[in-house]
Amino acid sequence: MRIRKYDVDYGRRALMQNLAIGAGAGVLTPLSKVFAAQGEIRKSYPDELLSIDAYTKGKVKTGDTINASNVELVKELLDPCIYMQVKSEGRKFRIKKTQTDWSTMFPAEFYEATLRSTKSPGKFDADGNVVTQDGKSWVGGLPFPDPKTGDEVQANLCLSWGRADYNQYAVNDVVLNPDGSVGYDYEFVWSELQTQARMDGKIFQNKADLLRYQTVLFTSTQDVAGSSFLSIWYYDQRKFPGLYGYLPQFKRVRQFPTNQRFEPLIPGVTWFLTDPWAAGDPMRTWGEYKIVERKPMLGAYNVTADIDQPNWMAKVHGGPKGTTFFDTDFEFVPEVIVLESKPTAYPRAPVGRRLAYIDARNSIYNGNTRYDRQDKPWVNFETAFGQYKKGDKVVYGPDGKNPAWSWTYCMSYDMQTKRMSRVRHLEQCGAGYKSVFSADNEEMYNKWCTQQAIQRLGSV
Amino acid sequence: MKGDRNMQRTQRRVGATLGVLALAITGNAVHAGEAGGFFDDMNINFAGFVRAESAISTTGQENPNNQGGNIFNSQTVARTAYLPPALGGGQWGAIPLGVGGNQQLGGLLPPIAFTDEVRRGDFIDADDNAFNYTILRAETEMQLTLTDHWSVIGRLRAIYDPTIYQQFNPGSVGGVQGAIDGGEKRLYKGRPNMFEYIVEGGDKPNPLEWSGKDYLVYFPALLAEYTSGGLNLRVGNQQLAWGQSIFFRVFDVANGLDLRRHLIMDRALEEFSDKRVPQLSVRLSYQLSDTILLDSFVAKFQPTVFGNPNTPYNVIPAQFTVHDLYKEGGYDSKLNYGLRLKGDYGQVSFQLMATRRYNPDGVFRWTESGVQKPLSGLLGTAVNLAYSVKPQLGNPDNAGACSPTLCRLYDDISEALSHTPFEASPAGVYSAREWFNYAAQVRLDGVAGLNAAIEEFAASRDVFATPADNYDQAYAELDTFFIAAGGSMRGHIARQYFREDVFGVGASYVNESENDLLNQMIFNLEVQYTPERTFTNKGLSRNFVKQDEYTVSLVVDKWHRFFNEFPGTYILFQALTKNRSDLVGRHLGGFGGSENKEAPGKSGNSNYLVLGFLQPWPNKIYEIEFAALVDLEGGMLAQPGLRWNAGKSVTVEGFYNFVDGRLWGNPNDNLLSTIDFAEEFTLRVSYQF
Repeated sequence: MRIRKYDVDYGRRALMQNLAIGAGAGVLTPLSKVFAAQGEIRKSYPDELLSIDAYTKGKVKTGDTINASNVELVKELLDPCIYMQVKSEGRKFRIKKTQTDWSTMFPAEFYEATLRSTKSPGKFDADGNVVTQDGKSWVGGLPFPDPKTGDEVQANLCLSWGRADYNQYAVNDVVLNPDGSVGYDYEFVWSELQTQARMDGKIFQNKADLLRYQTVLFTSTQDVAGSSFLSIWYYDQRKFPGLYGYLPQFKRVRQFPTNQRFEPLIPGVTWFLTDPWAAGDPMRTWGEYKIVERKPMLGAYNVTADIDQPNWMAKVHGGPKGTTFFDTDFEFVPEVIVLESKPTAYPRAPVGRRLAYIDARNSIYNGNTRYDRQDKPWVNFETAFGQYKKGDKVVYGPDGKNPAWSWTYCMSYDMQTKRMSRVRHLEQCGAGYKSVFSADNEEMYNKWCTQQAIQRLGSV
Repeated sequence: MKGDRNMQRTQRRVGATLGVLALAITGNAVHAGEAGGFFDDMNINFAGFVRAESAISTTGQENPNNQGGNIFNSQTVARTAYLPPALGGGQWGAIPLGVGGNQQLGGLLPPIAFTDEVRRGDFIDADDNAFNYTILRAETEMQLTLTDHWSVIGRLRAIYDPTIYQQFNPGSVGGVQGAIDGGEKRLYKGRPNMFEYIVEGGDKPNPLEWSGKDYLVYFPALLAEYTSGGLNLRVGNQQLAWGQSIFFRVFDVANGLDLRRHLIMDRALEEFSDKRVPQLSVRLSYQLSDTILLDSFVAKFQPTVFGNPNTPYNVIPAQFTVHDLYKEGGYDSKLNYGLRLKGDYGQVSFQLMATRRYNPDGVFRWTESGVQKPLSGLLGTAVNLAYSVKPQLGNPDNAGACSPTLCRLYDDISEALSHTPFEASPAGVYSAREWFNYAAQVRLDGVAGLNAAIEEFAASRDVFATPADNYDQAYAELDTFFIAAGGSMRGHIARQYFREDVFGVGASYVNESENDLLNQMIFNLEVQYTPERTFTNKGLSRNFVKQDEYTVSLVVDKWHRFFNEFPGTYILFQALTKNRSDLVGRHLGGFGGSENKEAPGKSGNSNYLVLGFLQPWPNKIYEIEFAALVDLEGGMLAQPGLRWNAGKSVTVEGFYNFVDGRLWGNPNDNLLSTIDFAEEFTLRVSYQF
């Protein structure tokens, strides 16, 4: 048992002070130092920031379920959308123990690369792109293990979305109407191949001007099945990706304008391309990145993937028909960075700003709320990440030895229309496409990342 | 939840389909990797939809190309017969066989039989349809993944048309002029045949297609696919589309179009998605580098399929009988092949294309009717008699040696007429006015058409027809023969195909600008050049027009957000110019005619503009669509539409086709007067499964 040296509000006050002086994460000791030494997270934070029990002085305990009846006890720890969902929409969650093992918070390779990065973090060049200390393209891992500015936080999110060289996600997206009925039920495959900021430190196929390839292929419903889009992302984050699409009605690949970042790709969904990863657009097409808060929060951080369930599908609850929200555990996180940003390169964007809620321990977000031009909360793109290990079941990551780490669900909730896109990372979706964490990159490039590939993947 | 069911469903299907092989994928594998053994990736997947589609006419106008919609059904037209020059009449129109001319002939003939008034509607029932189009469609796509490299893909389309239309019944003219005789009986003898594509000889040439009068079942795609690295090989029945232009087929040259169903009146933004005629083909594409894609094909040639006579969107006037020589001409064993290179370099890209193909649209010319039937009526009987009294001194192989005035080539006039492009049957052309009117409508020259039918057929001259020097002479000669026929004459035309080399070059540029309106605007220029392309002669002569043709299209598209409350609007602008033919390939030499004059032809190019946009609602539950095609010679097709993604697997689409081919100028100078009749509202309701 540790001796409490400070009063229960010390941690929170310290975080506010850190924010004011532009310091990095950590209260007792800079978090980055502890991370670099692979030390115990406990060395950075006092007890009241590591335990909901201590923080609430025992009013809420680890293992408790939060629902409408007791959510007021933790209101200040929730983002406003989740609070509203619990208070009014029947959402509930169970509080699990705060994770203190760094290695479970990243894919193993990314963790190692980030450890290397602590010795030589990235920097921004004159164009605002992340480079190594000697001015070369970033080589993998978090470029800013101890982000102190909004730009650094965002760079951690945007350089490698899935935190692996290749990721392929089989996805189910159920769109629930305001009355809770199922409006749409889509499935698609999302494939992303990093050309730079890779774990192997190499530049894939010497494509030094690119950052990644990303393809989305819809496999159902039938009206969108066979539609596929290939985005070719430039390393230069001031440039829009190149976008090529195969639409079944055209039977061929066409080039499309790519600045439609605020439009639903398919009917009914509440999310836009701008939302995923809290970094769906090139970083420098947004701006005015600003850390507005550092504070403890409750959220679906470090969740456990439901790999013991058929097709990794979680149970659901809440909402008008009891199906609106995934069952999940929340974690009391000692330090969440609340990052504000604005779509500065999109003068006609319907979005005024967004707030992302980012775990300071691993620079991954859980909440990502966009506000409309009248600054009313619009859509919260809640995303849970965690290890693919549950009990004795393990889904292995790229090295085939360590558990995979990835997103498990998104819940994109439109607070204005009460429409929900409930998105699940599946083991397998329509047409037999599987989620993949380990693959031959050259093979996946040919399979997913060329114009020929999306032509072939498209419906006939 | 679909995610829950998906794996189970797929596995069940594999299990049911492939029995024990299904075990390969039903294991509780949790290692999510791509590597695996043979059949590890075996999977079969089905999806599809059923859709009710109907189009209601908003003008009540019938298709003028059909018997029941012929614009002369309600007009009374005066006709006068003249003494043929071959029988001493001087020139056509000089000596009428009616009142005045009879006096010149010494009062030998009663005038009443040689001048009359004809109303087509006295013979042919007019149609009055509320619906232009009503079908029930079902489609399913199947993908069988055998291994990481091999798969089989198929799409099956089934269409049923309950044919609730009021349509022409050939039986209604069975007692007139000996009924309609020539042509394929399944197309010309019975009720309109909605779906069977039948060529001369009786074959249905489309592979993997089963059709009847009111149903159509076929595989738009059924192919085996092999993929390895950057190579993709597809073998089977398939379609292929190239190019950035939408609707303008500059690079999109590999397949003909299937116009049997809704012509080109479907949602503009769907382009030709269900209209390219699939071909048995081998398609090889290879990603030469990250920036260059090679695509190539070899295909068994399949022609464009036009609507059958008297079907709602038929574009060939029903007074014609068409003999499609696809099989008899040996075109069914011909191959098309082509190659395209596409390179992308960020903001800039290029395309190069070369295709050697048979033009799927084909060309038309007069052909012998093969119908042995004499003329009828008093004048017809007189002509029959005049023919029979000529001595049979000549023969068709040496027709020039025999003056049509003095000798005949055949045993009787029935045989002679069978060697002309005409048959003396009902439901043909009844008057010279109708002849010229319809010639102009289909961009032919009425005088040249008559002369070609005479000059290129000795039998025509043998029955006292002679070339006309001008419109008036042709008018007189035509009316004479229509009266002599006992009512009307049907024309017989052959469709044949010619090889051509099509070359294309294209480039596109993605504009980046501080100006939001100009930012992310994509400019695409495509040029097609075809040397010595073969066109239908405006006189339906067998001397087809052969000219070099170029086609240039400019496409500009972008997304732009106009409203805070609504998602961005997709905007498309296109322009197209062609120097020899119109958008659908009709030679410009046949343009500009009318009922009162032969076609002077159009000088300059045919030019078209397209403006389209797509405005989704928030959440894309509704989408407003608009597309307009403007022919700069005075025609417009505008299509506003609304798509409702209703959820629960239901989609509802409604769109209105506003067509006006008479905005300015001569309607026969622009494309859209041809489909002016098809102003309609279309409703489609789909259910996906």
